[in-house]
Amino acid sequence: MKTGRAIGLRIYTALFFLYIFTPLILIFIFAWNSGEGYVFPLQGFTWRWFMEFFRDRSAQKSIGNSLIIAISSATISTVLASLLTIGLLKGKFRRPELYITFLMLPVLMPSLTIGIAALVFFRTVNLPSGIPVVILAHVSISMSYVFLIMMSRIESISLSLQEAALDLGASWSMSVKDIVLPNLMPAMVAGWLFAFMVSWNEFIVTYFLIGNNTTLPIYIFSQLRFGISPKVNVISVLVTLFTLMIIFILISARGLYRRVASG
Amino acid sequence: MSIILKKNRNLAFPGLLWFLVFFILPLSVILIYSITERSLVSGEPVRFTVDNFIQVFQKKHYLVILLRSLRISLFTTVISIAFSYPVAYFLAKKTKADRILVVILMVPFWINYLIRTFAWKLILSDNGILNQVLLGLRIIDEPVRIMYTQTSVLLGLVYTYTPMMVLPLYASLLRIDDSLIEASLDLGASRARAFFDITFRLSLTGIFAGTLLVFIPALGSFAIPAILGGTDSVMIGNMIENQFNLVGNWNAGSAFTLSLAVLSIVLVLFYSRIFGLESIYRNRGL
Repeated sequence: MKTGRAIGLRIYTALFFLYIFTPLILIFIFAWNSGEGYVFPLQGFTWRWFMEFFRDRSAQKSIGNSLIIAISSATISTVLASLLTIGLLKGKFRRPELYITFLMLPVLMPSLTIGIAALVFFRTVNLPSGIPVVILAHVSISMSYVFLIMMSRIESISLSLQEAALDLGASWSMSVKDIVLPNLMPAMVAGWLFAFMVSWNEFIVTYFLIGNNTTLPIYIFSQLRFGISPKVNVISVLVTLFTLMIIFILISARGLYRRVASG
Repeated sequence: MSIILKKNRNLAFPGLLWFLVFFILPLSVILIYSITERSLVSGEPVRFTVDNFIQVFQKKHYLVILLRSLRISLFTTVISIAFSYPVAYFLAKKTKADRILVVILMVPFWINYLIRTFAWKLILSDNGILNQVLLGLRIIDEPVRIMYTQTSVLLGLVYTYTPMMVLPLYASLLRIDDSLIEASLDLGASRARAFFDITFRLSLTGIFAGTLLVFIPALGSFAIPAILGGTDSVMIGNMIENQFNLVGNWNAGSAFTLSLAVLSIVLVLFYSRIFGLESIYRNRGL
């Protein structure tokens, strides 16, 4: 009886994982299927859709824009959020939990409200739509995520070592370079990658602010509206592989952090 | 200004300032738009009004969309709880490979949800994969229409947000001490009673945290109903987009947007009152 229930749970969980992954598996299959439509049985193997993608200038331009936006917004938000976390958690703020509640909002509020608010705000102060305002908006979202990551780690790291180093005659820049940064670096790398992924996948806020330009999610959305082409499968395959790479780095960065923290 | 980072609260100010200017200020601007008539930059004198909010309840069309969005998001949340509870329970209590399985479960979450939604379009369309399978197995005689209905939107939302329910549920179940359940069984409780009185009750934190992470984004969803839905499945998000991109009524659009924002803030504050804030971010499983 007891084992029967356990087996039932195991089968259910396996089916659940199948449910979660089936859509992605189908996308992969049809990226190499030579038929035009998405019909079984499969027609045969082809690289044709990959060739079509590599000839598509607008797709490549949108990937370039996405990279520019993701890299700049992740960098700005990592710097701001690292300083913010140290100041807020270690700097004797009165009622830090009040600030933390507000800083949680970008994570928990629908992106749509953030996008609309940013659109109305930038129009009101007369900043033109385009890549720069998208970067500004992405920073204010991803900063909260980096803050969340840094928070749980900075709580557990003692920054008193810097004081000790200064007492023992180290210069300020030496104490930062040799003591503070090595301690914070793994959390900052994890935060940067997280912020990168948030921006890289962000669609709604970008949709309202990008103007005539495109990013990769915008490009995919416009392709989906025109009807579907296996080229979208190719993009999905490439994005998935790229994403898996980032997740792998993120996990290794966390492993590195654990080793630094424990030894 | 202290040179020791530990004592330096000024370090927080650039980030706080950024947050104030590019997050709080924009929300305040739509607050102003939502309680005034016409554009702020038009130069005409500003007149305050509550009409923007009232018309949500006066025009039947808006009310229908509002109620539909609430219903679809509620269904999404309930279904995702039902779907993910056994999985979370298995991960927390019945396996030692839970850490790696959680990481694997989160992989699709990191892949752009437009791509995942695209996959559902392939599966659900009239000559899509689901219909091909059902026809091939002779379960149905002619294709079932699922695409561009509320069902397809619901399926897309459930698929997209269910992983967000599994994580906090798993975290809350993991914290339950098994000896509590053993003690209750020793004292003569039935398995069902032990489950409902202990396991289920202690996992309520996880259910509420998951509800925040599923209900709010589902209610504010825009791309999924736009891709998978038809005319009968327009949601608040699409209505708001229309107000800005087609109708051009910024005041009404701001009122809708602000209502959505206020609703989510209220839910978050309510949650943090009851369960404490740290459980939200601890539960996110970053």
